[in-house]
Order: sequence, then C-alpha cells, then structure tokens
Amino acid sequence: MVTQRAVPVGGPPSLDSFVKSITKIEASQVPGMVDHLISLLKRRQIRGSRNTAVATANLLMRVVSATKWSHVDAIISKIREIGRRLTRAQPRELAVGNIVRRVLGLIREEVENDSPPPSASLPAGTTLSLQSAHSTQGGVPAAPLGQPSTSMFSLLSQNPTPQKDKSSHSSKNIKAGIMEGIREILDELSTADDLIAASALEHIHSNEIILTMGYSVTVQRFLLRAAQKRSFTVIIAEGYPNDQDKVHQVLSGDPDSPGNSQIAEDSHLTFQQTLTRAGLIVILIPDSAVYAMMSRVNKVILGTHAVTANGGLVAAAGAAVISKAAKEHRTPVVVVAGAYKLSPVHPFDVEGISEHGDPGKAVRWEDADMVESCDVVNTLFDYVPPNMVDLYITNLGGHAPSYLYRIVADHYRPEDVSLDG
Amino acid sequence: ASKTVDPAFHHLDSTKEVALFKHLEDTKKKREISDGLVPTEGIHPSVIALGLKMITYDICGSVARLVATLLAFKQVILDYTTPPGASLNRDLNHHLSPQIQYLNAARPNATAVRNAIRWLKVEISSSPIDITDSEAKARLTDRIDAFIQEKVMAAGRVIAESAAEKIRDGDVIVTYAKSAVVQAALLEAHKRGKKFKVCVIDSRPRFEGRNLARTLGTAGIDTQYSLITSLNYIMTNMNVTKVFLGAHAMLGNGYLYSRVGTAMVAMMAKDTEVPVIVLSESIKFTDRVQLDSIVQNERAPESELVISAEEEGDASGGLREWEKVKNLQLLNILYDVTPASYINTIITEYGSLPPSSVPVVHRLSTGT
Repeated sequence: MVTQRAVPVGGPPSLDSFVKSITKIEASQVPGMVDHLISLLKRRQIRGSRNTAVATANLLMRVVSATKWSHVDAIISKIREIGRRLTRAQPRELAVGNIVRRVLGLIREEVENDSPPPSASLPAGTTLSLQSAHSTQGGVPAAPLGQPSTSMFSLLSQNPTPQKDKSSHSSKNIKAGIMEGIREILDELSTADDLIAASALEHIHSNEIILTMGYSVTVQRFLLRAAQKRSFTVIIAEGYPNDQDKVHQVLSGDPDSPGNSQIAEDSHLTFQQTLTRAGLIVILIPDSAVYAMMSRVNKVILGTHAVTANGGLVAAAGAAVISKAAKEHRTPVVVVAGAYKLSPVHPFDVEGISEHGDPGKAVRWEDADMVESCDVVNTLFDYVPPNMVDLYITNLGGHAPSYLYRIVADHYRPEDVSLDG
Repeated sequence: ASKTVDPAFHHLDSTKEVALFKHLEDTKKKREISDGLVPTEGIHPSVIALGLKMITYDICGSVARLVATLLAFKQVILDYTTPPGASLNRDLNHHLSPQIQYLNAARPNATAVRNAIRWLKVEISSSPIDITDSEAKARLTDRIDAFIQEKVMAAGRVIAESAAEKIRDGDVIVTYAKSAVVQAALLEAHKRGKKFKVCVIDSRPRFEGRNLARTLGTAGIDTQYSLITSLNYIMTNMNVTKVFLGAHAMLGNGYLYSRVGTAMVAMMAKDTEVPVIVLSESIKFTDRVQLDSIVQNERAPESELVISAEEEGDASGGLREWEKVKNLQLLNILYDVTPASYINTIITEYGSLPPSSVPVVHRLSTGT
C-alpha cells in the first residue's frame, strides 16, 4: 500500500479533458466514450458529486444528439442502460444516477408535451390553481394536463387521456427539447453554489462561531458570501487522513503549493478568495477537538457528498460524529447542498456507503510494519440520519429534512427511481 | 545572570492565539525550556532531564510522569544536605519548590503528579526532628518507593486484573489513543486466553494509538487501527461490546478529563448503547470540578500540527507557512472533558464504581 504511493501517478485525464473530448467526437465513438467515463469513475479519476454530475450530463447530451431513434422508447432504454452501467461502476457517486434520472424525466416530459393536450373538462380557474399547485420550485414549467405523474389531475379529469402511439411524434423536435433541457441541467450545476450562497446572510449573524469540516466548495462560497458583510469565526476540523491536504492548502491560499492546480481545476476556486483574506478568523483544529469546541459553537455548517431520499446524508467520514456532538450541545446543524445531490434512493440501497479508502493514509512510512500486525481501516463516508440535521439549504431554498421527499418527487419520475430491468 | 533572549527566537504574536484559550499558559515557556533559555540554577540535573523528556512526550502519560517525578525527587532528596541552622522538615520543601516549578513550566503538572507532590510535602514536613539527615532521607526515599509500589504498581495490577475479568470471549473492545493501564488490562486478558478483538481509535497530531496497536498486534491480539474520522463506522458496524478508556484525571463531579477525543468516543458509545468503562488509579482522582474543556486545559505547541514531508509520503505541507497567513489560527489542546452521563463504570484499585462515587474514593484514598 505504502510502496504504491511512491510511484508518481501520470496526469489523469481530468473532467475538463473529458468534457472537451466529448464535444469533438464522432457519433460512432459515443459508445467508446461511455466506456471511457466508466473507467474514469472506476479509477476515481473523476470524483465528487459535482464533477461526476457534469461528466454524466455532458455524456448523455452527446448520446442523445448522436443517437438516431424512431421510437422514443429506444432512447429511454438506451439511457437507462448507460445509467445502469455508470451507477454500477461507482455506486457511491449518487449524483451520476441523479443526472441520468433527470434526463430520463426530461425525455418523458418532452414526449408528453409533444402530444396534443386533451380538452379540459374543468373550468379554467380550477385548472390554473391546480397547475400552480403542481408547478415545481425549480422553475420547471407547470405540469401539463394529462401528465401521468399528476395523480390528482387524473383523478379529477373525467376523460382519461387515451394512450397515444409515441412513435408518431417528430423525434427532431423532441431531440432539440431534450438537448435544451440537459443544457439547463448543466447550467444548474454551475450556478447551484452561487444560489445557495445567496442566502448566507439569512443564516450567519455577526460575531458567530461556525464549525465546519473538511473541504467543500459549497460551504466555502457560502461562508465567503457572508464574510462580505459580516465578521465571524470559522472553526474547521481537518478531516484527517483523507481531506487534510486540501483543507491545509486552501487555508494557506497558496496556489503554488503542490496539488493546488489540481484543486483549482476541481473546484474553480481561485486561491485569492480564502476565508482568512475575507477577514474571517479561521481556527483549524484536529478532528479530535470537535467535542471540546462544540460548547462554544453557534452553528455547524456541513457540505455533503449526497442526500438520500429520506433526508439522510452521505458525507465525508467524521460528519456523523460532528452532528451527534452538535445534537448533544443543542447546536443547530445546517447542510448546504445543490439539489442535484438529492437522490431518490434510500440509504439501504446504497451499496457499501462506508467506502474504505487507502489504509496507507492512516499510517506513516515508519509505521508500515503496523500493517502486518494489525488491520488498518480508513472509511471515506459516513451516513448521517435525517434527525441529525436541522436545516437543508439547496439552490431551491431552505427546507426541513422532512420536506426533502417533495423535492425528490418534483425532480424524478417514479418509474425511473430504479434503473434496473 | 539570566540569558538574553535571542532575537531570532520568535513566538506567536497575539493574533495567532485562539481567543477562547488565551487564559491558558501559552507554549512559549515550553520552547524556552527546550531551547535552554530558562535559568537552571538550583535545579537538580535529574529534574532538568525529566523536564526535557516531558516536553518531547518521551514521558507522556500521567502515571509515567508521576513515577518519573518521584524518582527525580528521590535523587534531589539524596543529594540534599540541610543547611546549618535549618531543619530538614521545613527547609527541604523550600528546596523542592523551584524543582516543582521547573517541571510545571515544562508541562503543567498532571493531577496525579500534583496529588503525589502534596503527599510528599506532608511526608517531608512530618519528618521526625530527632533523627539525623541521613536517617530522614532514608525514611523519605523508602516512603517514596512504597508509594510508587502501592499507588501505581499494585493499583495498576489490580485494575488490569479486574478489567481483564470483565472481558469475555468474542468481545469487540474499542479504546482511544493509549492508556498504560488499558494496555496492561488487554494484555492480561490475552494472557488468560480470552479471545477478543480490539479497535484502537487514534488522532492527530500525537498518534499515541499506534504504539498501542503495535504492542497489541505483536502480542497476537486481533487488532484494528483507525483514526477518529472512522469512529462512526467502527461504532455502528463492528458490533462493539465494550469501550475501555484511560484517564488523565477523574474530576470531583464524576467527569472524565482525558486525551482530547475521548469525549467523542464515549458519546458515540452511549449513543450505540455500548458500556463505557474507565480504568483509573485513585491517584488520578481530584476534587477539582469542571464542566467544559475550555476553562482548564493544556495547550501544546501549534507547530506539532504542521505535517512534515517525512511524516507523510505525499504531504503537501500546506501548513508549513501557517504563521504568515493572517487570521489563521491553529488549536492544539491536549485534553477534553467527558460528561459523567456517558460513563458507566470506573475501575479503580478499590473496585468498580459509578462516576458519582469519585469524590468518595478521593476522600478515602487521601484520608481527608
């Protein structure tokens, strides 16, 4: 384990080069790109929710544009099949499956929009109010009449919509609509953190002591936005042995230190924007000091890797103990996460939530002999149950954990929750 | 004459100090001692050597510090001669004071050490007046040896044995960092042929658990090692049956003052309904009380948190320049306080008792 780390790893194809190459390739090379992304995911060369989501959305955009189909079911089953393979390649990157399901939802919506609406048998006023009740928060247009997912409508509607033959629709219009929808998803991925940060001043008061953990671009932007107007203190637990390098480098704000180019590429952060330069007092603590400090902390703000359908978190290892310590001290826990991290799957569906990382990270060179006499365990993720979280802030606003299931219902079609079969 | 401070010698300016902990002794004194900038006139060589070993954590646990301190003071006593016109039972305590202060500057004296010093001072002042210097010194060194035998060696053995009795075949035991008496208990249980597994939880920057894990693993105990970020996984997936914790001090309100991180392990154990068992000699008991980890603690040098290139194969060394980063502060405290409500049992040489009995045992053992 330790000896492997001595070998320098050649520059892995990063997200940027993947996205660049995906736009250039011929239609015939698309299956090869699917395999390429699968291997990038397997080898963890593209990792993290945002990066995997961006890669998946770009890939699916190309798949949709390159594929010729006569019947819409063909493209749906093709994307489901790609989704199955991608999620199997890296089950813990839930964002991959989320994007696949969003795209499937788009396709279904396009098809339904394309079919002529049935004549409404209700007064116009009722229709409007019902429609607005069903409109999603994400700025997605309100559900049209006859959409199968609006169960309330199908109950009220006296003339159930006859099933149309979908093959009759022009696939060209549908294709353009789908592409537009995927572009909107990519747009959402790039603006989510900014939208979340916009509410920072509603949650951080002056002179507050905030505790956070590890390294999250979303949290960083949230705190930086609040720092423009208010002065407060941030305590950061370093997340040893998996996150401390990034945490230390970002705090030092030194773009020249080794590894920073990689981080900058990962996160699109400039190192000019550090929390300390924004005027905040930042206290870096070892993970062991969290409980000792918690009695003075006003709020815990955490980023997360993913959010499960029940409002639980799959977050960096250490998050569960921190949120438990916060509960013990009656300190509120706020989770900031883009809506693309919300997944329709439940925690028991996530294969091996507690992924094990490189045990070599947990022991030093001179302790290499320890590995012979004992078993070294280094977990990467914690599952945090929803009752440990007080508030979620997504790009759609602030929500209680109990409300997340609604957002999940708005984002994903029930028929796409399982990608199998 | 005191040495002038070398201008190149720099310490932290006040903006680098965490405001919440400014009331605690800063680490300047430690560095001055290790750099030889503190006048050592009148300090016994064995005390100076001990102070340096404490700063480097070569002697780290509170019981180890207690034994080393008493042995050093034994040397001080043997090399002492009562000045003419003075009596040993009054003057020797004056002679010891600067030695105690020197050690306290190296590292704030542990509760166990303070208890032992209080005992020694009483012993000295109750020296009979009608005996010679050498007789009085022989009496004191004998008492010191007996004290170490009784309060440390025998007590440790009794605790290790009664803790080993509590271990059953198939147990999965979690422990944090390294406690000498916990290690003794686990080795004792292994010697008795018990089949159990130990999960050692550890943390930066001292990694004391690595020593324990290596010792247990080499002894043939099924040992697992992980850092405190993996604690939730261990407590929820490993079918843990018991948590054994060491103590730096047992406080009068039943709270446990121990290596920073201990409270988190005890908290998770309480949450997962695993019994938390503290192993502590009664010499560590104190009537001091504390509710949080901030009013009273020990600050260690912040520089310990900087990861050196040697320590980690692929380290970025991102903190090496931390002192130049304005507004960035590092916090390196040594202890935290675990609420009594997380603790099920404390095993002492007097038997097993609940946290509420700490003051009772303290009165018993000090005879007050």
